[in-house]
Amino acid sequence: MHTTARLAAKLHRRVCLVLTEDAVLAEELLARKRLAAEVAGRLSDQVLLLRPGRVEAVLDELRKMGHTPQVVGGK
Amino acid sequence: MPSPDPDDWSVRVRDALGRYDEPLLRAVAGRLVKPRTNQPADDLLDKAVGILTNPPQIDRRIKELPPSSRKLLALIGLSRQPRWAVGHLLTLLASLGHAEGFAPVRAALDAGLLYPELPPDGPPLDDFDRWLGAGGTLAAVAFAHPAVAARARGEDLELPDLASGGREPPGSPARQADGLEWPLRLAAVWQQVGGSAVRLTQANTLFKRDQTRLQGDEVLAALPADHLAPSPDLGILALFWAKAAGLLAEADGELRPGSFPSAWDAGLTPAVSQLFAALPHVEAWDPLAGYAPVESGLSGFPTAGLLSLLLLASGGRQPPDGKPNQGADAPRSPGWTDPAAVAGWLWENHPSWAGGSPAATTDRGAGWVEGFLLGVAYPLRLVEAVPAADGWAVRLSDLGRHLLAGGPEPVVPPLPPQTLLVQPNAEVLAFRQGLTPGLVAALSRFARWKGIGPACTLELTPEQTYRGLESGLTLPMVLQTLARHSTRPVPPGVADLLQRWANKRDRITVFASAVLVEFPTPADLDAALARGVVSVKLTDRVGMTADGAEPGLSQLRLIGNRDYEAKPQRCVSVGDDGVTLTVDAAQADLLLDAEIGRYAEPLPPETPGVRRFRLTPATVRRAADAGLSFADIDGWFVDRTGGPLPPAGRLFLFGGKVPPPTAARRLVVRFSSAELADGVVQWPETRRLIADRLGPTAVVVEEEAFDPLRRVLAEVGVTLEEI
Repeated sequence: MHTTARLAAKLHRRVCLVLTEDAVLAEELLARKRLAAEVAGRLSDQVLLLRPGRVEAVLDELRKMGHTPQVVGGK
Repeated sequence: MPSPDPDDWSVRVRDALGRYDEPLLRAVAGRLVKPRTNQPADDLLDKAVGILTNPPQIDRRIKELPPSSRKLLALIGLSRQPRWAVGHLLTLLASLGHAEGFAPVRAALDAGLLYPELPPDGPPLDDFDRWLGAGGTLAAVAFAHPAVAARARGEDLELPDLASGGREPPGSPARQADGLEWPLRLAAVWQQVGGSAVRLTQANTLFKRDQTRLQGDEVLAALPADHLAPSPDLGILALFWAKAAGLLAEADGELRPGSFPSAWDAGLTPAVSQLFAALPHVEAWDPLAGYAPVESGLSGFPTAGLLSLLLLASGGRQPPDGKPNQGADAPRSPGWTDPAAVAGWLWENHPSWAGGSPAATTDRGAGWVEGFLLGVAYPLRLVEAVPAADGWAVRLSDLGRHLLAGGPEPVVPPLPPQTLLVQPNAEVLAFRQGLTPGLVAALSRFARWKGIGPACTLELTPEQTYRGLESGLTLPMVLQTLARHSTRPVPPGVADLLQRWANKRDRITVFASAVLVEFPTPADLDAALARGVVSVKLTDRVGMTADGAEPGLSQLRLIGNRDYEAKPQRCVSVGDDGVTLTVDAAQADLLLDAEIGRYAEPLPPETPGVRRFRLTPATVRRAADAGLSFADIDGWFVDRTGGPLPPAGRLFLFGGKVPPPTAARRLVVRFSSAELADGVVQWPETRRLIADRLGPTAVVVEEEAFDPLRRVLAEVGVTLEEI
C-alpha cells in the first residue's frame, strides 16, 4: 500500500469505555459485581466497554472503590 | 447570577421585546424611541435596544417617568441586581411611601425601561397585566438593563438620615473587616457541594440531611473570627448565597459546583460587588431565625436588608447625574447610626415588617437589623462599626459608599504576593492579609478549607487534588500556584505526594463519549498509528486519539459509521454447516467483537477484510460455563443473525444434558409400496410384531419377531425374503 493512500476505517461514535493501566486492574474492576453489571463487553485486556448512558454510575462505583478515575469527554 | 456584561443584557432586552406582540411592541418601543415615521417592527426593536446604551436619551426617558417609577429604577440600580421579583419591588416602593401597587412597575414596563422575564415557550405577550396575573407578584420577575438602572441611581429616595453619632468615631477606632469572610465561606460551601451534591425539595428547600450537614460543619458553622454579632446557620446562608452568586448551579433538583465568577479574579471590590448584588436572591435565611425556608409569600430578607443599607447611605448619596463624585463635593462619610434606629424606621415603614417579620417584637426588630448589618454586611466590608453605649454604631464603609452612595472606588493597597505556608504535613496556612478572592478561588479548586480564621488552614488531600485535576487543572498549575504564593518553597515531600495522587488518577481513564476507529486489518491500524491519525491502540484493529475526539478524516476512507448508543444490528450470517459465522464488516458494531468471542473462536482469514468465527463444542460450553443461559445465547443469535441458535450449536449445548441415545440391532423390512406398509401397520396380527415405522415403506422389527411376521404375512400371500 502506498504510504499516502487513505486508510479504510469505520468510526464508532459516542463510545463509553474504561481504559485501565494494566489488565490486572481491569480484572479487579470486573470482580466488582456492581461494576461488572455496567460493562457491556471487554474489548481487550485493558479496555472495558460500558453500557450506554451508565458512565455516571460507573464513576460513582469507581470512586466508592477508592479509585480516582480521569474523566475525558464530559460527565 | 446574571452576567454584568451590558451586551448580555442588551441581548436579554432584545429577547424580551421580541416576545411582545406587535401592537405592544409598537406602543412600548414608540414611547422609548419616539419615531417620527411609521417604521417596521424590527427597526423599532433595534432602535429600542440601541437607546439603552445612550446615556442622554436614557436620562430623558427616566425623567419622563413618575417619581415612584424613577425610585423603582433607582432601587434596582443601587442594589446592583438587575433581576427582581415584582413582589419585592412593590415591597420596596411601599416602604418608601408609594403604595400604588403595580402602577409604578407598569409605568416602567410601558416606558420600555423595565422588562418581564417570560417563560421560554409562552405565547407572545400582549398585556402586562395578564403577564402579572399569570405569574403572580410572588413569581413574576422583572429586569432592567444595568445601564438604565445605573443612570437612575441618583434619584432621591427620600429616606431619612438616621445618623446620630456624628461623623467621627466616638472614641474607639472604627472596625472594618477585610471583606474576605464571605468569599472564603462561599468557597468552602462550594467545596462541600463538590464533595456531595445538595438536593433540593420540590419547594426549593433543603432535605434534613443536608440541613444538618451544613449546620454542623466545623468550618461553615463557626462564627467569623472578626464577628460583632452572633448569626445562626451561617453555612446555610453561604449555600444559598453561593447559589445566588452563581458559584453553584441547580440541575435536576441538585446543587452542584459551577465556576467561580470572573469578578473574583478582578479583585476584592468587584468580588464584593458581585456578592452584594446576589443578596436580593437569598430568600431562605433570616438574621434571627437562621434557615427560614419560604413556603409561600415573600421573604423579608432581600428588601429589609437593602433598605437597611440604603438608610445608612441616606446621609451621603451621589449627585443625580449618576457619576461618582470624586471632587471637593464628594459625599462625605455618613454619620454613625444606631441599628435600632434603622429597625425603628423599618418597623414603621416596611409593609411586612411588624406583621410578618420574625424579628422579636420586644426590640422592634433591632436584633434583626444588628444581625444583618453586623453579621452579613460588616464581614462583607459594606459597613464599619464602632462600640457604642448599648452595642455598636455603624456606617457605610468606603466600599459600601462606593456601591450605595456614589463614592469613589476604594483604592486597594498592593498585597504581599507570598501569603501561603505549605507545611510538610500537607497543610497550608493562608494568611489573610495577602489573600484575594482570586487566590481563594484558585486554592479552593485543589485544597480543602479546614479552618477560616485570622490565618486560614487548608489541607491537601487526594480527593480535593483529584477534583482539582478533574476541573481542568494540571499538576504543574497546582504546584505553580503554591510556589508563587508561598513564603517558602513547597516541601519536596508535599510535591511528591501531589505527584503520587496525580499518577493514581492516570491509572483509570473513563471516556464518556469517545470516537473509536476500526481498521480492517492490524496493519492498517499500525499505519494509522505511524501517521498519527490515532495515538492509542485499543485492540489489534481498533484505535483512538488521545482525548477520544474524532480523528482527522483527511487520511481516512470511511467504510462505516456506527453510533454506539444505537440498537445492535444483524451483522452475522451462519453457514450451512451451522457452525461457521461470517461478520458483515460494514454493519458490525463495536460490541460485536466483545460479544462474538463468548460463543465462537476466530478463524484464520481467507479473504482480506472478511472475518469468520466458528462455533465449537468448547466455545459453546465456555459460554454456558460463564453463566450465559440458553435464552441469552439464543437471544444473541436472534439479534445478530436473525435466526435461533443453529441445531449444531444446540447439540453442543444440550448434548450432554439429555437422556443418552440408545443403540440396538433390529431388522429393517422394506415393502414395495406404502399401501402395503400401511396394511401391515394397521392389521392387528402384524401390528403387534412391528417395533417402529421408519418411513412410508419401511418398518423395524425385533430379530425374534422376524419369523412370526414372515409366517403371518405368508398367510396373506406376502413372501418376506431376508437379504
